[in-house]
Amino acid sequence: MNENKKRLIARFAVDRGDRFEILTRFEGETIQRERIEHQEAKAPSLMPRYPAAVWFERKIMEDFGIRFEGAFDTRPLLHHERWPEGVHPMRRDFDPDTVLEEAPYRPYRYATVGGEGVFEVAVGPIHAGIIEPGHFHFSQAGEDMLHQEVRHFYKYRGIEKSCEGKSLTEAAPIVARISGNESVAAQIALARIAERASDTQTPTPQRARQALLLELERIIHHWTDLGFIPNDAGFAAALAYASARAEEARRLMAALTGHRFGFDAIFSGTEDWDKATINAWIERNFEAIEWFESWITDIPSLWDRMDTTGILKRAEALRYGCVGVMARASGLERDVRMSDPFYTERGFAAALEESGDVAARFKIRIAEIKASLELMRRFAEEAEAEPYRIAEPRDGAYDAFVESSLGELYLYMELEAGKITRLFFRDPSFVNWQALPTLMPGNIIADFPLINKSCDLSYAGNDL
Amino acid sequence: MFRYWQRRFKTGVLTENPQLDERLSDLRKRLKKGIAKHFAGSLAIRMVDSGSCNACEAECNALSNPYYDLERLGIRFVASPRHADVMLLSGVLTFNMLPHVLDAWEQIPEPKWCITLGDCPVLQSPIERTFAVKGPAGEHLPVAYHIPGCPPSPEAILEGLVGFLESMED
Ligand code: SF4
Repeated sequence: MNENKKRLIARFAVDRGDRFEILTRFEGETIQRERIEHQEAKAPSLMPRYPAAVWFERKIMEDFGIRFEGAFDTRPLLHHERWPEGVHPMRRDFDPDTVLEEAPYRPYRYATVGGEGVFEVAVGPIHAGIIEPGHFHFSQAGEDMLHQEVRHFYKYRGIEKSCEGKSLTEAAPIVARISGNESVAAQIALARIAERASDTQTPTPQRARQALLLELERIIHHWTDLGFIPNDAGFAAALAYASARAEEARRLMAALTGHRFGFDAIFSGTEDWDKATINAWIERNFEAIEWFESWITDIPSLWDRMDTTGILKRAEALRYGCVGVMARASGLERDVRMSDPFYTERGFAAALEESGDVAARFKIRIAEIKASLELMRRFAEEAEAEPYRIAEPRDGAYDAFVESSLGELYLYMELEAGKITRLFFRDPSFVNWQALPTLMPGNIIADFPLINKSCDLSYAGNDL
Repeated sequence: MFRYWQRRFKTGVLTENPQLDERLSDLRKRLKKGIAKHFAGSLAIRMVDSGSCNACEAECNALSNPYYDLERLGIRFVASPRHADVMLLSGVLTFNMLPHVLDAWEQIPEPKWCITLGDCPVLQSPIERTFAVKGPAGEHLPVAYHIPGCPPSPEAILEGLVGFLESMED
């Protein structure tokens, strides 16, 4: 495995009317643009070199009707069994209000493993429990998972298309609702783009406000997982404790923004913040996470389940370009905050673990709550309760990265006369979902929920 | 585990917000009464997400945290639609989810009720109806009750469930 191979961040296309353009973003580089003729809509595939290109390119095939030469997987991704054929919604001439009629059922061919005694288990899209819909297809040898395919996009809502023709202000409430557990992050990404498009700089007190809310969102997310992960290993007491802390964090979010998830909070709300309340909450939560850690570390039966379960190998994390908790638990220091002086100047250092198993991801979440609380202490001193006001943007193409509670979130936009002509949103989960099947071989299917939960990926953000 | 119980006894019962607690306790009473009357003391809900942003699910999950503790009122979120009385539907009804939602609905034994949760299924949230969205839930399912909000808070969901029970005929 060549460690120096570039990381593929995103690959997507734009319809320019008379031609297509495929845009590819690698880490540390500017966007590469390939021109594709409408008549002869095909491009060389990156799939053989970059496994994460598989979903990016399958999405482009359906969004635009572009073909990829050398692509080994051309099955439909977003367009499920009843989609009418030949409909490419991201083309310019496609009307977003089109009412699509169901076409005759075309079965989807799952990637499976054959062999004597091997059987398949299909799970979802509707799961047992209060979870988002998605499909997992397992090839089993008894209890052992030989192979898994993740099939998603049940929640495909056509959000990229619906943002076209809107101003940044009009699109903001939609962007805030792409994925509820990373709403603040998505809003901040939009604010960064608005900032670049108007040549302005957000003053420090306002950035500190945004950053404080972002860390609070992360804390809510991690507390939720710290309860659900042990719960999936049969240890319900942790859920009772951690879900109460998540609830308190949500109530702080509501006190600061008027909304329990901080929807629309980056762009609205003017009330003064009561810093004493924030600080008292931070100290209580510090005490809580330290107590939780000392308590949970002492439960051997729980660690028995978490240790060596669902390992994401460092080499696989590199190959797929994983981000967020999944990457950091496998020894890769991938965190947008590490390349932002606003964080590093305030003493931020990303948490890292090496073993890549459920236990490592669990420990990362504990460490990150502490780190986020430290950051919140600093931001609370500097923040002013002043929302961000979107200024008149210049035409152009802009992008932004934000470290959401799930990892690196990437937002790209093109603006013309104050309106969005193309919006591309790559959720951190879009990459991580593709790497998830590599965690399964060597594990039993009963551990799948535990492994899946330890990664806690977004379906809504992925499907869009 | 010893540490847990030590702490549990030291801390006792916590109240964070007295007004909220008072409202919740009133809602709990009315819920319990309605469930006893119409569902013999136990209401089974199958939550189905047909294209949400996941916040509506998060708030349903929050109902089980110690602050709301829904289970002790006789409400259970069940895994199989065949065990359910009510389908709680969140999110916009997407093109890709519609057949699966209808499947789940069909599997719920009669008598059954569909409650829409949050602004999405009735197309009142900022998420718009596009080519990938199959219109308001009411066009495809007999919706008995709607709980508004984006997302409805756990308290609003409880209120909604009370409203649903109180709207039922005797
Ligand atoms: S109603 Fe609001 S919170 Fe609920 S799924 Fe829709 S956008 Fe999310």
